[in-house]
Amino acid sequence: MRPPQITIAAICLLGLAGCKASPPSRFETSTITFAKHHIFIGNKDQKNPIPYTHQNWEDGKEAFSHYCVACHGTDGQNTGVPFIDHISPPIPSLASAEVQRYTDGQLKWILDNGIRPSGMPGSQGTLSDDELWSIVVYLRHLPPAGSQGTPEMYTH
Amino acid sequence: MKTKLLLLLLLAGFVSAGAFSTHIIHAQEAPKRIEITAKRFAYEPGEITLKKGQPVVLVIKSLDVAHGLRFRELNLNAKINKGGSAELPLTPDKTGDFVAHCSVFCGSGHGGMMLTLHVVD
Repeated sequence: MRPPQITIAAICLLGLAGCKASPPSRFETSTITFAKHHIFIGNKDQKNPIPYTHQNWEDGKEAFSHYCVACHGTDGQNTGVPFIDHISPPIPSLASAEVQRYTDGQLKWILDNGIRPSGMPGSQGTLSDDELWSIVVYLRHLPPAGSQGTPEMYTH
Repeated sequence: MKTKLLLLLLLAGFVSAGAFSTHIIHAQEAPKRIEITAKRFAYEPGEITLKKGQPVVLVIKSLDVAHGLRFRELNLNAKINKGGSAELPLTPDKTGDFVAHCSVFCGSGHGGMMLTLHVVD
């Protein structure tokens, strides 16, 4: 290997070393939160066609249970998720102001498309529009933290 | 004599009522049965057309895992066990197009599994 190539390889390795998963600083968090709310996450004005009723809330809870619970817990507040303290960027509580400040349309957009590169995947095609909107209903009326126990997948 | 006449009239009434009700039973058509198969991630057929007011029974058979068939607008939902079948009686009372989705999570393409019902006059 010629010297310039060694230098380039060393720079790349240094760059990769800077990519280790560590908690973001407050500045990074506030910048990204602002960008997500005002730039990256679209569909701000779309209204939820599914009204809040107990049945629609139950539908949302069931749809949420298919795989959202793996990272968010059944209560949407990370209860029982074993890797919750070891992931970066951290998974927010869905009851937090940061999440609840999104409009219904933005929450649907996130469910459809995910948020790259946070690890949040999109669910368009995996869940129907009806199910995704009913999840938005569930997110707006989350049960108390811890009230739903640990997701079943982590109990055996 | 009067009692006999009354009994005779009563008997005649029962006989004619019985004949009339039998006539009604014969006049009612059995609902048409429409077979639908459900398989990851589609229904076959994917579209069906019905006449408004025509009673039918959708017979849904699963060829693989558990599925569902839910018309949210019509407040109808059927769940089909893995490899089993379910019946969904239906009499459409309004014209239009209605889309049903799978109501039992069945995998990565679950959200796109739908059946369109056209109801015509």
